[in-house]
Amino acid sequence: MPLMTLDQFKQISPYEWEIPQTFRSDMRVPVRIFASKILLEQSLDDKSILQAVNTSTLPGVLEAVMVMPDMHQGYGFPIGGVAATDLDQGVISPGGIGYDINCGVRLMASRIRAEEIRDWSADLAVAIDHYCPSGVGVRSQQRLSDDEMEAVCVEGAGWAMSKGYAMANDISHTEDQGRLDGADSRKVSMRALDRGRTQLGTLGGGNHFIEVDLIEKIYDPGPAHVMGLFEGEIAVQIHTGSRAFGHQICTDYVRRLQETVEKYGIKLPDRQLVCAPIDSPDGQDYLAAMRCGANFAFANRQLLADKVRRAFESVLAGKVEDWHLRQVYDVAHNIGKFEEHNIAGEMRLVCVHRKGATRAFGPGSEDIPADYAEIGQPVLVPGSMGTSSWVLLGTQTSMARSFGSCCHGAGRVMSRSQAKRSIWGEELYQQLKRGGIEVRAGSMAGLAEEAPQAYKDVDQVVESVAGAGIAKKVARLRPLVVIKG
Amino acid sequence: MFPHGYEEIDHTADLALKVWGEDFHALLKQAARGLYDLLGVTIDPDNVGKHEFTIDAGQEETLLVDFLSEVLYLAEDEKLFFEDFTIVETPTGMLISGTCQVILSLAREIKAVTFHDLSVKRTKGGLETILTFDV
Repeated sequence: MPLMTLDQFKQISPYEWEIPQTFRSDMRVPVRIFASKILLEQSLDDKSILQAVNTSTLPGVLEAVMVMPDMHQGYGFPIGGVAATDLDQGVISPGGIGYDINCGVRLMASRIRAEEIRDWSADLAVAIDHYCPSGVGVRSQQRLSDDEMEAVCVEGAGWAMSKGYAMANDISHTEDQGRLDGADSRKVSMRALDRGRTQLGTLGGGNHFIEVDLIEKIYDPGPAHVMGLFEGEIAVQIHTGSRAFGHQICTDYVRRLQETVEKYGIKLPDRQLVCAPIDSPDGQDYLAAMRCGANFAFANRQLLADKVRRAFESVLAGKVEDWHLRQVYDVAHNIGKFEEHNIAGEMRLVCVHRKGATRAFGPGSEDIPADYAEIGQPVLVPGSMGTSSWVLLGTQTSMARSFGSCCHGAGRVMSRSQAKRSIWGEELYQQLKRGGIEVRAGSMAGLAEEAPQAYKDVDQVVESVAGAGIAKKVARLRPLVVIKG
Repeated sequence: MFPHGYEEIDHTADLALKVWGEDFHALLKQAARGLYDLLGVTIDPDNVGKHEFTIDAGQEETLLVDFLSEVLYLAEDEKLFFEDFTIVETPTGMLISGTCQVILSLAREIKAVTFHDLSVKRTKGGLETILTFDV
């Protein structure tokens, strides 16, 4: 029995739907869903829409809670959820950003043609696996001192630059130049700092991955050229976040706010939505700590990018003319940011929570690299393992309709236990290999959990955001090498 | 049905456990057993020691999350697996102690224990709850 039915939604366009504020008496704003009818129907069986309705009860929430087509049920907020709150009257909710603070994706392009690495793809898989520590609870060979942790928290990717792990183009092509202002490591617990100091430069486990991809099809040659993406060439994606450092920061603040939420007179339909007024000491402390987690994640992906570059050099130097990897973009999909948006005709600074949603700023935005000013911000949408990934661009419609936000991936449809019951990891591994994909995975059970059948069709997700106008297609990628934690 | 136990229930993206016990201490112990099961721990049976930790007083749901968050942290970062738990109520909360073995490997990463829709319910047989873990 579905938890919701289609007749409870008002259809705005073929790819946009709304649950009016009258749906439940405690809603403060409507819920706006960007999805095709098929994808929306797929989501009616889980709690994602009801979780978006719960999110719409947060104090100071503005305009509408947005839900992307890769939505699935999470805890508190739905995955694929976007909520903006008023800076004076609104709240910040740690669960609306998630435990993996600044989980995100980095894309690097090369001038290597796919046929040039055909004989070396297995070696590349081994080398990347060797250079980039991955797996459950994996630690780095480095142990950062207190001063280094402080610098990572405050400087983010800039710290990596100061240590020689980054080039200037990496920093300029990262969301917020890889550093959020307002980070304060004094607001982070000693346990979080200790967990983080041994994990910088590690991939972790779960759905985190490094992929070597073939740029299979270009949909918009002009912007693709600006981004340095050419059909038949190789690109690399890195998907990871702030590791146990971010997990502990979120755990600490979700716990702390359980004690304080009542004093602010906030009533919530789900304790995981716990929050604090943005201008309160609790809200300000969380923001300062969350920004440390975000900066750690920017530095983490930067260190991994450096390691992938070393792996490419070790395998391909002398075998291909140019083995270098140049950063296209790095973007977060679990984050809370102060951004200026048009609210009822007035430009206002608001707090945007993105939980499994990617920033998608349109052309002309001051917050994107100068060389992308005319095309818009790259939006990186990894597919499930073995399927396509997409490079999209933010649009003026995303600025007007979705707080400059878009989807972040394929979105799960099958539980992990169901996936393991119906998919045999070893068989999947062989199937991927037959399809020309080199896979390195921590375990066959973990591989089965992340099987393509457990996810929505990413192409349909992209059709929905493109159809709704909140993103524009540029390129489709196909995996050749996959490293899973 | 056994008086205490746990079972994994379906969750689209994360992991969820239904846990039940005759009383609150049994519920805590079963929840920890279930968490170890989800983590897929392998242990070194010859490497045995003792460990103890405290949990501050609070509502049952908060105690449950605090207890499991500590068990998770000790498993992931300190590589400690509790063979058993002795739980003693103290004026400020709970003192938890037990015999520990060293964890050699974990099959899965669990990021956190959440408060999502968390409610400890009274049943004919004791207590029951559903826990959601972020993975």
